[in-house]
Amino acid sequence: MSTRRTVSLFATCLGDQLRADAVEAAAAVLERAGCAVQFDPRQTCCGQPAFNSGYWREARAVARRFVDLFEHVEAVVVPSGSCTAMVHRLPQLFADDPDLLPRVRAVATKTFELSQFLVRELGVTDLDARLDARVAWHDACHGLRELGVRGEPRALLAHVRGLELIETRTCEACCGFGGTFSIKLPEVSTAMLDHKLDELQAAGVDVVASLDASCLMQIDGRMRRRGIRVRTMHLAEILAAR
Amino acid sequence: MTSARDEILQRLRGGRSTGPCSAPPPLPTPRLRAHLSQPIAREQLVATFRGQLAQVGARAEVVARADLAARVAALLTDAEAHNIACSDAPLVRDALASLPASIETLPPDAARERLLACDTGISSAQWAVAETGTLVLASAHERHRLCSLLPDRYLALVPMSRLVGHLGDVFSRLHEPSASPTSRAITFVTGPSRTADIELQLVVGVHGPKDVAVLLVDDL
Amino acid sequence: MTPPDEAHPNAFAQQARDALQDEVLTGALRRATDLFGERRRAAIATVPDWQELREHARKVKAHTLAQLDHYLERFAANATAAGATVHWARDGDEACAIVTRIAAERSASRLVKSKSMATEEIGLNEALAARAREPVETDLGEWIIQLAGETPSHIIVPAIHKTRQQIGRLFVDKLGIPPTDDPDALAAAARTRLRAHFAAADLGISGVNFGVAETGTILILENEGNARMTTTLPKTHVAVMGIEKVIPRFDDLEVFLRLLPRSGTGQHLTTYQSLLTGTDPGGEGPDELHIVLLDNGRAKIAVDRVMRETLACIRCGACLNACPVYQSVGGHAYGSVYPGPIGAILTPQLQGLEQAAALPFASTLCGACKDVCPVAIDIPSLLLELRRRAVDGTPGQRPVRLRRSERIAFGLWSWFARGPRRFRFAARLARIAQRVPLLSRLLPPLSAWTRTRELPTAEGRAFRDRRRGGNR
Repeated sequence: MSTRRTVSLFATCLGDQLRADAVEAAAAVLERAGCAVQFDPRQTCCGQPAFNSGYWREARAVARRFVDLFEHVEAVVVPSGSCTAMVHRLPQLFADDPDLLPRVRAVATKTFELSQFLVRELGVTDLDARLDARVAWHDACHGLRELGVRGEPRALLAHVRGLELIETRTCEACCGFGGTFSIKLPEVSTAMLDHKLDELQAAGVDVVASLDASCLMQIDGRMRRRGIRVRTMHLAEILAAR
Repeated sequence: MTSARDEILQRLRGGRSTGPCSAPPPLPTPRLRAHLSQPIAREQLVATFRGQLAQVGARAEVVARADLAARVAALLTDAEAHNIACSDAPLVRDALASLPASIETLPPDAARERLLACDTGISSAQWAVAETGTLVLASAHERHRLCSLLPDRYLALVPMSRLVGHLGDVFSRLHEPSASPTSRAITFVTGPSRTADIELQLVVGVHGPKDVAVLLVDDL
Repeated sequence: MTPPDEAHPNAFAQQARDALQDEVLTGALRRATDLFGERRRAAIATVPDWQELREHARKVKAHTLAQLDHYLERFAANATAAGATVHWARDGDEACAIVTRIAAERSASRLVKSKSMATEEIGLNEALAARAREPVETDLGEWIIQLAGETPSHIIVPAIHKTRQQIGRLFVDKLGIPPTDDPDALAAAARTRLRAHFAAADLGISGVNFGVAETGTILILENEGNARMTTTLPKTHVAVMGIEKVIPRFDDLEVFLRLLPRSGTGQHLTTYQSLLTGTDPGGEGPDELHIVLLDNGRAKIAVDRVMRETLACIRCGACLNACPVYQSVGGHAYGSVYPGPIGAILTPQLQGLEQAAALPFASTLCGACKDVCPVAIDIPSLLLELRRRAVDGTPGQRPVRLRRSERIAFGLWSWFARGPRRFRFAARLARIAQRVPLLSRLLPPLSAWTRTRELPTAEGRAFRDRRRGGNR
């Protein structure tokens, strides 16, 4: 860890409000990896909920704030594949705004998902973590398919002492959350997830882990409804564990 | 009143009179797999072809030109063939030279109901493709659309020199300006007729032949 | 269950709930989509240049769709020169009228048909039936569906929602065969019965997978041989072809043939491909070939720069098999001939966004469809664009009537998310609402969530409250 990087942490709405421990862990992990971590309390949201629902005007207003807030920092690190992917999609949202577009692009290129930042940008895979558990990984869709995050979390988990990574056949299957999809079509949303949960249950894992608070909220909520006793953990929480 | 043709073309032009309104993205040059590959040894071609046919539930064997008629007679006798729909290829005529008199042969222009009742069809193929186990039947060369389709059993004769490596080899040959008259009907056949429409269970012979065999005729 | 013929795209939610109640359907769907998914993966693993092939095919389609008028004219001219008769149909009704007229002029009353999405889109069977010329569907799955009076639930396996026992009973009822549920015996019964139809048929109707502009050739792919029968035995062959099916050159077929079967069924090649160029005087085929070029909303999509990509679809069905929504609820829920991710973008454009606005929202935007698409259609981006259009409207089209509460909610959200204080305030309100059991059961977003899940419990204070103003 030659150069000390200063990173700005974007907590994300769900992380900030519901998974504060995971965001706390992300900050700790980044510091352990040698970064100076900043948190700007003026941050709110990246605009994704409105963008994905078709309310681009509302999304633009919020996303613009994100750009204003983060365009002067060195790097933005996000403990979420979905919100990172949204920031990378912002040029589509501002395609009609030639003045803003270069600024939007500039912010997008320096915004990173946590595991990608650790592995690709910092070259760190061993964070000296320990967790005695059988862990199944859930490849969150936007991280996987829009950002290409596949090997990074696995490389990080491989260095967690005591952790046994259980690969499941359905690890890349969507959890069914999909933002407003989850409340527009609740039965379909959880039917999609049940297929995955059946396999997790059969595999006898202790923990299902991912890099998105939204997926974890969906998985956890359904598991509790079904009475499945598997813990959900954010990747950052595992990497921070000792 | 504008014709449907004019109106559809007009809609596609989006108001412009003719020609594209902006430069369309370029058309990439054709990408035939054959051009990417090296020449393949004969043994390798035959092995690949047989392997592919085996995967789809069909089979191929190599037979010397001199032994063709005897082999065909033996195959048809073993299969208890009674009536055979034949194409009009010279190779087929030669192959049927040693047929027992008890087996009836019908030409392509026989009555439909009689062709529909045949138990076996026999034709040659213009090409065979090793990588997929495919027979290519080109109508300009031979009348084999019906005999390759209607009977339960289909036997195809392919001169060894016509076995090529890739689909692209066939496309480049089918399309050569120097090739014989362009075929109005080109049929690719890869194994027996199949369906999985009932509970995804494979059933062969649902409409076309359920048994497909290929004789690679060593013509050197 | 909602009778399929009453299914409607905008009733997706109800139809999906119905489908989830049908255990036969959901079990069969899971098996089918898993199987096709695995076969597809195995088939493309043998193609080292798969990504380059996709990219090539995408470029060919992009080029062609940008000047479809040019290629269609060439296609029509070359097909005509080869002896085909080319008809143009602005919409489904016109196409049905053309086919009906062709049949009537030849006094053709015994019609056979091979599987074709375009003819289902325009309701050709119903139109012909109204003139006592209903064609017999000859693809086994389609025939089963026709006998049962239902609609297909999967592009590749139309009768996937029916068990062998149900099909056995159907055949006993309709064909009078001895009771059986053995697929071999059922297929043999179908073969015998359909052969009689083929032998007697005077007109055959097919779809078209690709039309080659350079030669006027049409290509039809299949596995059963019924399309070969349909396009060879009757004296007259009528092919209904969507105008987007045209590709420039004969040699382009090779790339699409490498992509389509591998993506659809995981086969290296389907059993049969028929490449038909006009008529074959003195040959074994039909005396006449009629090609009906169908617009029915396609031209409008072709001139839409953003959505044009939709028309690159080669109908392989891979996106259906890969889609977790489709895997769970199947095709009937979409209330359209075109289900799944491709249906979710195609149906609203063909029928009008107002008619099918529910479909672009029936996706989690997981992106699995884009990954498997053999022509790399960016379906998630197109879904997003259609959602935007539903909300904003387009020039000449008013916004779709969405729930008023949703518009208000996103307006409020946007306001709250534009300032950290408002954001904290809103978050606190949400936390309170969530802790009140009655609210979580009755307040719409929460109540929808808790229908099938527990609400999340916050891990103590919000991160921003733990860190107020502090940098470390």
